[in-house]
Amino acid sequence: MRGLPLEVSNLSVTGAGGRVLVRAESLTIAPGESIGIRGPSGAGKSTLLYALAGLQPTARGVIRWGAADLVALGESERARFRRDHIGLVFQDFLLFEELTAQGNAALAAAFGARGGAASIRSRAGAVLERLGIGDTARTVDSFSGGERQRVAIARALANDPAIILADEPTASLDRDTADRMIDDLVDLARTGGKTLIAVSHDRTLLERMDRLVEVIDGRLREGALDA
Amino acid sequence: MPEILLDGWQGLSPTAQDILILLLLLAPAVLTGLVVTFGYRPFLLVRSLLWRYRWTNLVFVALIAVSVGLGVGLTAQERGLRQGTARAAEKFDLIVSAPGSEITMLFASVYLQPSDVPLLDGETYEKIVSNENVSLAAPIAYGDSFEGYPVVGTTPGFIAHLSGDLAEGEMFSRTGQAVAGSAVEVPLGASFTPAHGVGDGAEHEAHAGAETVIVGRMAATGSPWDKAILVPVEAVWEVHGLANGHAPERAGQIGPPFDTDYFPGTPAVMVHADALWANYALKSDFTTDKTMAFFPGAVLSRLHALMGDVRQIMSLMAVVTQVLVTAGVLTGLVVLTRLFSRRLALLRALGAPRRFVFAVVWCYAATLIAGGAVLGLGAGFAAAGLISREISRRTDILVRAGLAWPEFHLIAGFVSLTLLLALTPAFLALNRPVIADLRN
Repeated sequence: MRGLPLEVSNLSVTGAGGRVLVRAESLTIAPGESIGIRGPSGAGKSTLLYALAGLQPTARGVIRWGAADLVALGESERARFRRDHIGLVFQDFLLFEELTAQGNAALAAAFGARGGAASIRSRAGAVLERLGIGDTARTVDSFSGGERQRVAIARALANDPAIILADEPTASLDRDTADRMIDDLVDLARTGGKTLIAVSHDRTLLERMDRLVEVIDGRLREGALDA
Repeated sequence: MPEILLDGWQGLSPTAQDILILLLLLAPAVLTGLVVTFGYRPFLLVRSLLWRYRWTNLVFVALIAVSVGLGVGLTAQERGLRQGTARAAEKFDLIVSAPGSEITMLFASVYLQPSDVPLLDGETYEKIVSNENVSLAAPIAYGDSFEGYPVVGTTPGFIAHLSGDLAEGEMFSRTGQAVAGSAVEVPLGASFTPAHGVGDGAEHEAHAGAETVIVGRMAATGSPWDKAILVPVEAVWEVHGLANGHAPERAGQIGPPFDTDYFPGTPAVMVHADALWANYALKSDFTTDKTMAFFPGAVLSRLHALMGDVRQIMSLMAVVTQVLVTAGVLTGLVVLTRLFSRRLALLRALGAPRRFVFAVVWCYAATLIAGGAVLGLGAGFAAAGLISREISRRTDILVRAGLAWPEFHLIAGFVSLTLLLALTPAFLALNRPVIADLRN
């Protein structure tokens, strides 16, 4: 599925005691564009990312992906949007250690994402193969960090999402592994025409993004890498 | 209940009724399972969670198994004991004795528990034996023993009535011979001298010279009589220095008829009539101011009815134990779902429907509960078997405690109830904050 445009306006996400964690007056992302989000620790980067995924119940304002405003949708509709349109990649992979690479990558087949179980399994297998995971029948508890993150990427792409949201995807990897993972992620997103939003401190990853957004004290601004 | 349903129910065989009750008890669990898992395949993830926390899960399963096993074991054991005591008494149609406590006489005559009781005289015995409905009237004279085995004086007819053909050897034909019960560990051909009395107070020299040889062995009866040594009643009288029941010209005779004038007395007479109605007539005839007649089976029924209250208390205790364990298990399940809350949060972040996550948690709990129940069934069966053997060893009453429909019904009810209660941790898991759990 090709990327979806994002339009955010008057977004605020509050935390305990009504404290504002993130405030964004306006953010627009074109379909297929890749955006890097950076900022100091605790500034609200991940909060923003989870809000864009429809996972922040305290989000107010507008988060419109195509025609769907996630803030206005109910919880079950937001879940449906995620399983049909969003692929998520986490810093520490979040895999089911006892499942095989194929079982993890095709996790969505268990709960019926768009396209049906068979197509999810087939796509998961294809992405794993493309990412160089040969033994897909092996349980992931014996995998290296790099292999695990590749399985996590395969899981994020198995439902052929329009949007990939990645939260510090290279933070748990060594440099060489991180570089390979960045190549894989960016290539897969670009060739699929998918919108990619990655929260990261990793300069190499941020350099590969079309655009940067900086989050400081919960506020967004267009950013640029220092020379 | 509408009459048509009642008629239909009563028209079913007991087995069909039990199967139907089982299905009805299981129905809530099965229906809940079908509704919860409809449209989803949570089993791969459930298997993953079971393996991930396998040791904790094993503890939970063991806890449930112990609770279920306790309930199953108690009910099976109680029924086995009831059936065992009834089986041991079934050959004793009617006991006639001197007036007193029926229960004391029941224990003394059927279960061979020593007791001092007054004797019936020869006239009474004659009256019993001459009744036209009586086909067997056997004096039962107890009070002696050998190495812990009660030595009981009776007649060959009673032995044949009690155990049919001998398992080996031959019937005693004179005093100085004995037939051993099937569990008496004295070989055929061995001789012994009975002691006067039983237990620690037995006088071993009291009957010196009354050497007796084992000449035969009864087939097993599943009653305390398997550990008794049976001798001619004449021998018991003789070793106590009494007349031997027969006039001097028939001094060597064994068994009836006895001569009233030479009948020294017997604690009890086991009476058998061929027709069932005749037993009731005999009971009526011998319930007098000089004699007491009772059906051991009826006394036992009253005793069981009395024990029924205890049984209800035991059953209640079993249920209370299971409820407590269930409450513990459910609390534990809530704690366990916190252990894998990050995984559940991941599923929800990936867009899994709430009902799918609910199904994962419920199926996980259901697997632990069902596994524990099945293991508990086995544990209860094994425990009941072990306890039965021990009771049989100690009382000589053959107790067979096997699983029967009540145990299956108990487990089906337990499983259904706990699976319904397992909806609670599943609901609680859904209310957990996704982002906070993802970041844990």
